[in-house]
Amino acid sequence: MGRRFVRPHALNAWPGVDRPFVPGLEGPEMSSIETQMRDASAKIFRTTEAKETCHNASQGSAASGGCAFDGAKIVLQPITDVAHLVHAPLACEGNSWDNRGAASSGPVLWRTSFTTDLTELDIVTGDSERKLLKAIREIKEGYAPAAIFVYGTCVTELIGDDIDAVCRQAAQKFAIPVVPVKSPGFGGSKNLGNRRAGEALLEHVIGTVEADDPGPYDINILGEFNLSGEFWLMKPLLDRLGIRVRACIPGDARYAQVASAHRSRAAMMVCSTALINLARKMEERWNIPFFEGSFYGISSTSEALRRIAQLLVRKGAGSALLHHVEALLAEEEERAWKKLEAYRHRLEGKRVQLNTGGVKSWSIVHALIEIGMEIVGTSIRKSTTRDKERIKQMLKDENHLHQSMAASELYAMLREHKPDIMLSGGRTQFVALEAKIPWLDVNQERQHAYAGYAGMVELARQIDLAIHNPVWAQLREPAPWKQFVTTARSAEPRINMRSADEATAGFY
Amino acid sequence: MPQSAEKVLDHVPLFCEPEYEKMFARKKLKFECPHPDKVVEAQYEFTWTWEYREKNLAREALVVNPAKACQPLGAVFAAAGFERTMSFVHGSQGCVAYYRSHLSRHFKEPSSAVSSSMTEDAAVFGGLKNMIDGLANTYQLYDPKMIAVSTTCMAEVIGDDLHGFIENAKNEGSVPADFDVPFAHTPAFVGSHVDGYDSMVKGILENFWKSTERVPTPALINIIPGFDGFCVGNNREIKRLLDTMGVTYVFIQDASDQFDTPSDGEYRMYDGGTKIEDVKVAKHAEATISLQHYNTRKTLDYCRELGQTTASFHYPLGIGGTDEFLMKISELSKREIPESIDRDRGRLIDAMADSQSWLHGKKYGIYGDPDFVYSMARFVMETGGHPTHCLATNGTAAWEAEMKELLASSPFGGGAQVWAGKDLWAMRSLLLTEPVDLLIGNSYGKYLERDTDTPLVRLTFPIFDRHHHHRFPLMGYQGGLRLLTVILDKIFDELDQETMWEGVSYDLTR
Repeated sequence: MGRRFVRPHALNAWPGVDRPFVPGLEGPEMSSIETQMRDASAKIFRTTEAKETCHNASQGSAASGGCAFDGAKIVLQPITDVAHLVHAPLACEGNSWDNRGAASSGPVLWRTSFTTDLTELDIVTGDSERKLLKAIREIKEGYAPAAIFVYGTCVTELIGDDIDAVCRQAAQKFAIPVVPVKSPGFGGSKNLGNRRAGEALLEHVIGTVEADDPGPYDINILGEFNLSGEFWLMKPLLDRLGIRVRACIPGDARYAQVASAHRSRAAMMVCSTALINLARKMEERWNIPFFEGSFYGISSTSEALRRIAQLLVRKGAGSALLHHVEALLAEEEERAWKKLEAYRHRLEGKRVQLNTGGVKSWSIVHALIEIGMEIVGTSIRKSTTRDKERIKQMLKDENHLHQSMAASELYAMLREHKPDIMLSGGRTQFVALEAKIPWLDVNQERQHAYAGYAGMVELARQIDLAIHNPVWAQLREPAPWKQFVTTARSAEPRINMRSADEATAGFY
Repeated sequence: MPQSAEKVLDHVPLFCEPEYEKMFARKKLKFECPHPDKVVEAQYEFTWTWEYREKNLAREALVVNPAKACQPLGAVFAAAGFERTMSFVHGSQGCVAYYRSHLSRHFKEPSSAVSSSMTEDAAVFGGLKNMIDGLANTYQLYDPKMIAVSTTCMAEVIGDDLHGFIENAKNEGSVPADFDVPFAHTPAFVGSHVDGYDSMVKGILENFWKSTERVPTPALINIIPGFDGFCVGNNREIKRLLDTMGVTYVFIQDASDQFDTPSDGEYRMYDGGTKIEDVKVAKHAEATISLQHYNTRKTLDYCRELGQTTASFHYPLGIGGTDEFLMKISELSKREIPESIDRDRGRLIDAMADSQSWLHGKKYGIYGDPDFVYSMARFVMETGGHPTHCLATNGTAAWEAEMKELLASSPFGGGAQVWAGKDLWAMRSLLLTEPVDLLIGNSYGKYLERDTDTPLVRLTFPIFDRHHHHRFPLMGYQGGLRLLTVILDKIFDELDQETMWEGVSYDLTR
């Protein structure tokens, strides 16, 4: 049996009030959602290790990522024309409002912060359900979004708000899709939240709208967040091949696209940790085959495009597509390598430490090896068994792999290995700086798009800039007065040696 | 009607009303005899070309928008840094009004200076009578401890002899014989405000030092800041650093209080400044340190003649600039640089590292006084930026050589150009033909910002159209933080403006 995502003691901690049935959180029996997840995981990974691919945060550890709510919000928020309503006291939304750099090519509603802002009286009197319904009405009247996603959080799940029922009622009353996303933080890690979000899409969104123009070249991209607009580096390539992205979930998605995603012929799974269950279920329900791929790195990008074409052809697209892909790959690869040559001699042999999660751990490793850099270590936290296998194949040395670690451990490791640069997320940026190691953001707050061929060139450029910034020299050196006098600094600065002749000479 | 008593419009919206627009258009057509729009447009586009740039840079006689001021302005500023000192500018009155408004508009503080108000008869017969009456009035009306005399061009052209005139005035009883009236000849047709500053400070030192015997005092250090629009913040920061190190020093010419008086109901014509007693003591110092080399060349020569050790810096800011300054202070004062300053330094480096990706590879146009441009270029390179255009209208050949040496010392100086003696109209061509990401200068840069679409960071005197920047230091590590913040703010503001309506990259976290 797979690992349970809800810890028993958390369930026991619920108050003994008479509460309505909340699917997905009922314990100690496993809920339907968890069963689905367990099944999905087991089928995909088929190893006993799979139990650990989706683990809970360890107690007292500050190093872990966000909670289940955070995970759910991250996955769904990039759907741009949806109003994301957080049913909670202010903190959940207040602290996470607009904290990801996903990019939208159109609607900006997703960046507006909606919350029911529950206060003590709402919670004590149980008025929160009514408040939720009212909030949904106000959103509908004020913003008329394509849909409203309602997030259940610790407080509302603890007091037993029946969000399902409220959403159902609201959807009927206001004639708008209202999707419950039950993601209490105590449910588990951020990763669990990711999957909860996937389940919510499966249960309430995908398949609810019929596409009037399904075609043999329609695909879904799953687990692509369009951070810094990086999916837009890939889209033109797909366009050139005549492949239509029916739905990119969730990056720059529209509700209707997601709702009709079941009519695609094939899917690419980008961040498998986040949405593997979604891919698996879509394959089961609608016969949409998928593969796991990455747009980071030149060969990964080529491989991904090739696999997309193969799946489409298998599903009935014209086999000429395979030739088109090869022609495009050859052309794009050549161009990218040409551009990368400029960086190769500046970066070759430079040593990199990666501290990022999930899919990026192996796909970036691959990309960096491609430009001749040496990997000192990479984190495999939040990576699936498959991710890990891939890394092992590439690095051929398991010592380079490490699990999630506390800041102090990471610091010690950086001090020991002294890599030339660390690539990570914002949370460990400052650990790198304290260890005097150049740092580049490759996570959600990054400012540059790294996907595809153009993205790889950009990554190389940014690594080059970061490594060669003059501030590192200052960072590594002690203050000059703490150095030995032997440093090449004349005792008397030359600026002393001047005369008044200058004052009269050379005026303009 | 565009204007009504119920809702009186400010000039900003008022002149955009259709009535005014129409009036302006009519006036232009009927009275301004304008060139056709097409011709104007073509000429405008011509100014963007390399061809125009060549012609522009080849200008020999005409100066357009110079980035410098005249000697007496520097002298008036210098005098404001001494205890109860009234600036007395011998010459025509209008000049003095300029210095006062210039300083007032920058510091947002009253600025007092008097003039001998020479008129036509004085020009013909000499200004002795003006000096005699002027000194007497100044002494009686404003109760100064010292009157610092400088000159305008008018007095210099007719050749008035300050030394003789002041003697005569004292003999006539304008001021008591032992009253201090230091002076400096400050013709505007030589050099710039930095030289006027130099002459005035030297004049004041000579006045107090000439008749005493020097008794060298080990480890006593004089600091001369130079002409600095940020003196309010900078002087206080420099003094804080020196106090933290436990250095014994005389801060010669400290205008930080004069140009930052509190509003408590009392009008202070004089506030703060270097005590006259301290100026006298300063002669015995072991060393005199100038924070701005090109502001103190004559003064330091004089100090050396007296046997003092001297050292000069270029507006010490950023990491390297501050390091050198502190180490020199440490060496001369025999005081260790304490841990707290070490931490300040570490914090600045930390901040620079935090923001490095935003500054890396940015190109800058920098103009201002020679020392300022030098240190800014150096700081920019410390952050991984390129000081593409370094321009000082009052820069000398020596400055140019020194700049080139600085640029050659860093890979980020490659391709950077030094423009000594060029004006802001030249900068316009430079920015149009070789664009940069940021322009560092003063308020006058706003026209360049408009014409060339280069974001302007106001970091040097004069800043008329923004308030209170001068209250924060630029020098030292603390100043470095301020500098970093101001530059980053501009970059982020620009980025937000750029992305605000397109929306995609209008990010909360940057």
